[in-house]
Amino acid sequence: MDPVSQYGFINAKLRAKLGLMKESHVIDELLKTNSLVEAVAVLRDTKYSEVASVFDSTGDLQQMEVVFLHGEIAMYHEVARYLDGKPSDFVHLLLGKIEVDNLKNAIRLWYSSLIRHRPMRYRSEYLYKQKIVWPIDWPALVNATTWDNVVKALSSSPYHDVVKKYTQESIEELGLFSLESELDLQYYAQIMEGLKSLSSDDRQVAQRIFLVDLDLKNLLIMVRFGWFYHLKADQLYPLLLPWGKVYKSKEVQTFIATQPEARDPFVIIDRFYPGLGEKVHHVVEQKRGSVKSDELTVLQNLAMESYLHERRKDVFHSILGSDPFTIGLPLSYFFLVKEENSMIKAILNGKYYGYTEEYIRGVFA
Amino acid sequence: MNLFTRPMKLLTAVVLEQTTEAVIKALLQLGVMDFVHINRLDPQQMEKLSTKPSSVSRMALEDTRHRVEALLRQGHIHLPSSEFLKVDDLQKPDLETYKNVLDALNIQLLTLKDKQKQCNQRLIGFEEMKRYIAEDKGEYLDLRLGEFTHGTQEDLSSKIGSFGGILDEIKDVGKFISLTLRRDVSQVDPLLEKFGWEESSDAGLQRQALTIVTHRLEDECRKALLERSEVEGEVDAVIAEKKSKLIEIWGNLRLNELCDQIRSYFAYTRNTTLFSGWVPSDQAQAVSKAIFDASDGQCVIEWTEATEVNREEVPVAISMPKALEPFQRMVNNYATPEYGTVNPTLFVMVAYLIMFGLMFADVGQGFILLLVGLFVKFNYKKNPMKPDGLLSRNIATLLLYLGGSAITFGLLFGSYFGMNIFPALWFNFDAVVSGHAEGDVFKNVYDILGLTVKFGIVVIYTGLGINWVNLTRKKAWLKLILDKNGITGGLLFGIGLYMAFGFVKTGYHTFPTDPWITPVLLVCLIAMFFRGFLAYYLSVKEGGKTHDAGKVIFDSVMEWILDTLEIFTGYLSNTLSFMRVAGLGIAHASLMEAFKELSNMAGGVWGIAIFVLGNVLVIVLEGLSSGIQSLRLNYYEFFSRYFTGKGVAYEPVGLKSNFSL
Repeated sequence: MDPVSQYGFINAKLRAKLGLMKESHVIDELLKTNSLVEAVAVLRDTKYSEVASVFDSTGDLQQMEVVFLHGEIAMYHEVARYLDGKPSDFVHLLLGKIEVDNLKNAIRLWYSSLIRHRPMRYRSEYLYKQKIVWPIDWPALVNATTWDNVVKALSSSPYHDVVKKYTQESIEELGLFSLESELDLQYYAQIMEGLKSLSSDDRQVAQRIFLVDLDLKNLLIMVRFGWFYHLKADQLYPLLLPWGKVYKSKEVQTFIATQPEARDPFVIIDRFYPGLGEKVHHVVEQKRGSVKSDELTVLQNLAMESYLHERRKDVFHSILGSDPFTIGLPLSYFFLVKEENSMIKAILNGKYYGYTEEYIRGVFA
Repeated sequence: MNLFTRPMKLLTAVVLEQTTEAVIKALLQLGVMDFVHINRLDPQQMEKLSTKPSSVSRMALEDTRHRVEALLRQGHIHLPSSEFLKVDDLQKPDLETYKNVLDALNIQLLTLKDKQKQCNQRLIGFEEMKRYIAEDKGEYLDLRLGEFTHGTQEDLSSKIGSFGGILDEIKDVGKFISLTLRRDVSQVDPLLEKFGWEESSDAGLQRQALTIVTHRLEDECRKALLERSEVEGEVDAVIAEKKSKLIEIWGNLRLNELCDQIRSYFAYTRNTTLFSGWVPSDQAQAVSKAIFDASDGQCVIEWTEATEVNREEVPVAISMPKALEPFQRMVNNYATPEYGTVNPTLFVMVAYLIMFGLMFADVGQGFILLLVGLFVKFNYKKNPMKPDGLLSRNIATLLLYLGGSAITFGLLFGSYFGMNIFPALWFNFDAVVSGHAEGDVFKNVYDILGLTVKFGIVVIYTGLGINWVNLTRKKAWLKLILDKNGITGGLLFGIGLYMAFGFVKTGYHTFPTDPWITPVLLVCLIAMFFRGFLAYYLSVKEGGKTHDAGKVIFDSVMEWILDTLEIFTGYLSNTLSFMRVAGLGIAHASLMEAFKELSNMAGGVWGIAIFVLGNVLVIVLEGLSSGIQSLRLNYYEFFSRYFTGKGVAYEPVGLKSNFSL
């Protein structure tokens, strides 16, 4: 199928939706509100009216977040329906991220209940329990009384290969961090494999997005775990996602090989993102003395994440301005919708906890 | 109703500063003045004047109003309409007090919402267990039957409740059922042990336990759901209790916003206030009186006629009966007519309904459209605050007209759900399309195509006629005579039509060769050639810019070439464009014929089903495309002849002014 036939319709449809998103002032109006009740009123006449209805009937913020999750899954399915062949398969593959996140949440609940003995109670009901990509027995997973039962609940999915490497004892001893990293790694491996099946134009655009994504994630892993948590080389190296220019760079190899206490992430940051180092230093200078050292590190991390997020946003915006008949447009659309949803969820949470407009704006900045 | 836009007058008034607020109230009450900033009238005079910042920011007023609206909507209370606003109730807004009222109400609501959240969490916890029982997934549940030897029932019940479980007593037997999720067994076990739980070995009771606990779960779910709904009701009740206060605050904020909006147009000297604005001529006396009364006669009022101001600066007010609103909207969606020109709404209505009727002529289907329109209108009337859906209020009214048009043309063409139940009043359209017309004026589809082309010619000439009236009113004589849409253009179009019809008359063999044709054509073209030069000459004479001779020649010649091309190709394509009316009418008749055939072939219930579904499909698809094509013909073929769209909409500030939500 030629690109125009493949992407013509979805291009028009998504651009119309993006146009409406651009015109919408929902984020600004939400920020201006004084309470959760007032924030919900802003959503009433928008495409998020279902979220407002759920608030009316339940008053439960987490239940409202479930509506967003359902909406995001429906969004991927809708776009996949309008595409054919490999691009459609690839969009389905992207749903894997939602599935992995849902799975991580389910396992965290299980871990908290079975290992940490904190009753799960109603919390499992906030999980998405229908099929996303692979058949997973979600009720069996959240009701598993042993790790073996968790593994069994995932037996028909590719996640089985990852979880079966762990035992209840190893999970008890080491926690979930390593497992979650492996699940993420598996998702990216599937994506990189999926990219190979796309046409050359699609592959080029999608690679541009995912390689930037991978570079940013690797950078954050190195800063957070290599610099802040001082992980040793043999613990740090497996956490990195083995793709992208950051992973392959000499600077990274040097960084990992350096003694944890002597590592300097700014060498890598300045090498790949020259503006970022300056931004992080600025945060340090601004806050030094007024906050504790560990809080300062958290702020540095936040500054970095926000900078890297902006770079991703730049990539998506530039893709929106380039060839319209590639998979770039659906990918950009997913990103922008998810970004808007995340912001709305964050604002609603902020309003629930009584944060002011200035504070929330500060966090977003 | 006025065929032309409403005549306007520009008011400029000076009042004493101490009477300003009274004047504002009076003007707000009247709500007919479209204010203009004084500096637009005379920027030099503005230097001697000053503006005054508002004591309260309009943004703050608007934000507070939005807060009130959010609370009203949370309480499922419809927002007050402009009818509620009374200028006499206007007070200085006490934003601090309003804020305190709203904050206190918010706290109350958030407490209730927290309670509702807890009910919801209890509910979803119970529903999870209930689902496992219903799905026969007993392996996820931990159901025990027994009795405890230590502690109290309340204590144990509350502790089991903390796992989301329930403890139920079996009356008269002194035994208890504990239901929790098996995933919590590692914590439930020690808990029950602590209370000295002893399992019962009564097999009969054990069999009953699941039924008993299922009923209990159902009860608990019902209770939690009820409690959750009750909290929702409490939220509504709390807001309803404050309704009058909230509406009072809302009204005062809105009035202050409007006053501030009016005030923002005012300019001040040390002791006086100066303002200006456009008013429909028929309201001028009322406005003068209102200002005079409000300022105790201490005012100076000057009126400027619209003719003394650049036409494009005069706002355009239109008076049309409310019943014609759907067609007025069609015009407004395109653009605002120029001041002083013909308001095309009535013409649009006539043209639109004829076009639609020709494309969708069927009594039965028209009746369905009429019924849908009536049903939707009735629904909105029953729920006046209901927001517009896909079938909006405007579409509902339009459907009434479209239904009427389809019925009228259906009667003329004798079509009733695609069947010829009664004889056609004019000619049998379906018979013409299917090639069975006998003795009618119209014998084949070419006759129908000819009919629509002739209808198109009438529409185009009506457009030209309106244009000539507009140009005469604007005293644009040059354009009236020599423009492509002027008299010369019309004459050339007429010659074209004469030749075309003559050509058809000879069986497509020869064009008419009347001796007057060539001289008239040449005179028209030559006259048009000089239009550019004449326009330049007149513009310079009236003080316009002068240009190089080369530029003037080039512009004039190019304009002439383009106009000539536009006349020969534009008029031709505009006229032939009306053949789409015949095309869609033929498609409509053909589709109905096809469904009729299919229905006859299937027979019985299937035949009826095909007939009904066919009609539904045709009503939806053909109805939609006929509506769109009629609009398109109006916008492109009709409006392009006379509609400049250079008008500025008249937007007076009054109690009925739109407000941001």
